[in-house]
Amino acid sequence: MSLHDFFIAPFAYNFMARGLGSALLLGLSGGLLGCVLVLRRLALMGDALSHSLLPGIALAWLIFGPSVTALFMGALLAGLLTALGSALLSRLTRVKEDAAFGSLFIVFFAAGVALVSKLPTRMNLTHVLFGNILGTSNTDLGIAGIISGLTALVFVVGFRGILLQTFDPLFYRASGGHGGWVHIGMLSLTVLNLVAALQTMGIVLALGLFLLPAVSAYLWCDHFARMLLLSAGIALASSAAGILLSYHAGLASGAAIVLCLGAVFFVSVLFSPRYGFISRILTAPKRSLSA
Amino acid sequence: MQAFTVPAHAPHHILRFRNVTVCHGRTPALEGVTLDIPCGSSTALLGPNGAGKSTLLRAILGWHPLVTGEILLGDAHPHHQLPRLAYLPQRQSIDWDFPITVRAVVEQGRYPSLRFFQRLSALDHQRVDRALDELGLVELADRQISQLSGGQQQRVFLARALAQGADIFLLDEPFGGLDLLACEELTHLLRTWVMQGRTVLAAVHDLALARSGFNRGVLLDTTLVAAGPIAEVLSPDNIDRAFRRGRAARQNPLHLSRTTEFPS
Repeated sequence: MSLHDFFIAPFAYNFMARGLGSALLLGLSGGLLGCVLVLRRLALMGDALSHSLLPGIALAWLIFGPSVTALFMGALLAGLLTALGSALLSRLTRVKEDAAFGSLFIVFFAAGVALVSKLPTRMNLTHVLFGNILGTSNTDLGIAGIISGLTALVFVVGFRGILLQTFDPLFYRASGGHGGWVHIGMLSLTVLNLVAALQTMGIVLALGLFLLPAVSAYLWCDHFARMLLLSAGIALASSAAGILLSYHAGLASGAAIVLCLGAVFFVSVLFSPRYGFISRILTAPKRSLSA
Repeated sequence: MQAFTVPAHAPHHILRFRNVTVCHGRTPALEGVTLDIPCGSSTALLGPNGAGKSTLLRAILGWHPLVTGEILLGDAHPHHQLPRLAYLPQRQSIDWDFPITVRAVVEQGRYPSLRFFQRLSALDHQRVDRALDELGLVELADRQISQLSGGQQQRVFLARALAQGADIFLLDEPFGGLDLLACEELTHLLRTWVMQGRTVLAAVHDLALARSGFNRGVLLDTTLVAAGPIAEVLSPDNIDRAFRRGRAARQNPLHLSRTTEFPS
């Protein structure tokens, strides 16, 4: 098989090209946002958020029927309510942000399940859970493009604010920054990306794009900017590799992408020169001597 | 370095508290505090836990709504003069595993004065270099921040405050978790800063450290107990009033003997 056959030929099919495009776009923004979530210890937030989208989707279905735009807006609204609601709760009450998130998403999920049981036709939830990246429509690709572009733009323009708010929110506030807005911006972008990814990759696999590149990059970098770039790079490379893998090996595409991300993650965990498992074992005796 | 050219007791160089009351929920954290802090001095904020030391620092930054009174730096509210103020949070609030180097943290001091898309200029880099140099961090500049000792970590954040170009430093428990040598280093450094005309206002727990390292003191127990030269403020009588009156005398849940000696 020639290189051309391996790398280029698969994308002669339109659905393959669209699938790749959407994976690359969402990978880029997921890789960037994931870094902030991982560093703020909100890594499980995506998981919580994904459950909270259900009532929005069910309600939109109940009112407007299976229209893509309605479902998108419904999911977006439910996600934003959960994210901003818990940010607000944690600031106005004693409840910490993780507990606020946990409580709200469970209530939302219950509302979603209750609404689904009211639906006249049975809603097919497997699509929401697993998605189908090769079924990406031009509309989906357009939405992914807008959201990914917006995310990248926010990171370029607001880099310093994002860094300060993530690293030392008290200093940011003391020097006149509006940390609350940065936080709300990050949460809103996370919801937007998650909803966009839901259409194509499915919830579970979309979470992979948020977490795995960021955690992998975290193990290699001592600079915030480099971590962002590496994370986005890992997400892009794994998306392309995953799509190719799925084509040549006949695997489900979303799963193939996440498997590639997982491979990068395990290599990083084991072999990262400073923070990996193996280097920790090798340097352990020295540490105990100097301590 | 504004403070060199301006006499230290010019009116815009006094931090004034007039009848300041701050509440957390319904509990008053500061009550009717009236106090002048002259700039160009080092002032230790002292008092038992919950006396309002941190609250006082944060109130200066405008983080707590004042129930009564006002805080003025010169004739304006200090939170309108944020570039003059540098705030150093408690060490525990930092994630030391964050992917960031010493130099990058000190560069953050220049961020507030930059506009969108404006990059650090040669002058900014110069200030960062000077701050690193003044705090003896040049050799460590490329290290990730977890690879430093506690004292070095504290100096990184002091260097950031310095790079900011502030002349008033608000330090929340800067000695927390530092060993003896690091405490001495820090005391020495703060004294040098004050000699250069800078102002240091620090929440301090250790009375002996406050006595040796600061020239003024403010003793709080929600209300103001005493303020002035450190030796006068830390009289046995004042210490007794601040540390025993509020808590120990009225309620002593652990039934501790009340014979604890305060160093004097």
